[in-house]
Amino acid sequence: MSAADRNLALRAARGDVGAFSSLVQEHSGLVYRMALRVLGARDAQDASQEVWIRVWRNIKSFRGDSAFTTWLYRITMNTCLSVRQKESRRGERQYSGEVPFLAEPPGGDADPEAATLNSERRVEIEAALEHVRAEHRAALVLRHMEGLSYAEIAEVLGVPDGTAKGWVSRGRAAMLLALSKENGHDGAGGAGP
Amino acid sequence: MMPTAEQERWEVLEKIGAYAAGELEGEEASEAERLIFERPDYRRLAESYARMLVMLDTFGSETVEVPEAVVNFALRRAYVSAFMRSAEVFVGALGRSYLDAFVYYLGLRPKPAREGYGGGI
Repeated sequence: MSAADRNLALRAARGDVGAFSSLVQEHSGLVYRMALRVLGARDAQDASQEVWIRVWRNIKSFRGDSAFTTWLYRITMNTCLSVRQKESRRGERQYSGEVPFLAEPPGGDADPEAATLNSERRVEIEAALEHVRAEHRAALVLRHMEGLSYAEIAEVLGVPDGTAKGWVSRGRAAMLLALSKENGHDGAGGAGP
Repeated sequence: MMPTAEQERWEVLEKIGAYAAGELEGEEASEAERLIFERPDYRRLAESYARMLVMLDTFGSETVEVPEAVVNFALRRAYVSAFMRSAEVFVGALGRSYLDAFVYYLGLRPKPAREGYGGGI
């Protein structure tokens, strides 16, 4: 898969629109999914389109040192984070000290139905993600939704491994605080600055 | 700058999160286990983290349908851009040929240097 992507990317760099089209068909899911999780439904479509414009414009700079998907993740994240910087940010929840708590799903943790999310839970997750700082959210999404390693996250976000690890850790904590608030269990104080 | 007490609270919060995610080893893992064992609220915190991580994993593995407009827009832009590039190359080459012909017509082209035959000066 990776070698095939590399081959298509090199052909696209020489102006082969057919090869570029194959890359778009193959990876549009990845780009849209990331945009959706980092930016939300309102901005995901515009950001995805912007990502593909940037990919076409910069495909000549893809040298094949890393996997095409890593390069694509990087462009997607840069685009999403630059969209976020333009907006006024919703504040991260402050931690008042009361330990956050997330209620057990109906039927308990062992309930197989708990493995699928109902629409209410999905809305809660999306709303809670809004309260996690953009870089922390990006790192959290890459780690716990996309399953990337810390080395891969560091490469995608262009930061040292330790920073990537710190951002995931802080994102995870901020997410739980926000989620427990959304869930009606207030371990979090009011919205921060 | 965050006050120290709040910083410490965040540290514990993050430490238990890292433990719940299975990212701690050795001394750090034992320290987190001690906290969880000693305080019921930290045990509930670790359970909450575990629940959240399952939710995130489930959320992350859900299939997302890409709007057709995204793919169509990207391809349309690429085709237009490739066409413009080709047109630019074609028009550039055509322009150069016309210019060459015009220069030739006006007799402005410098005569090529006379070839020598190695006969000395």
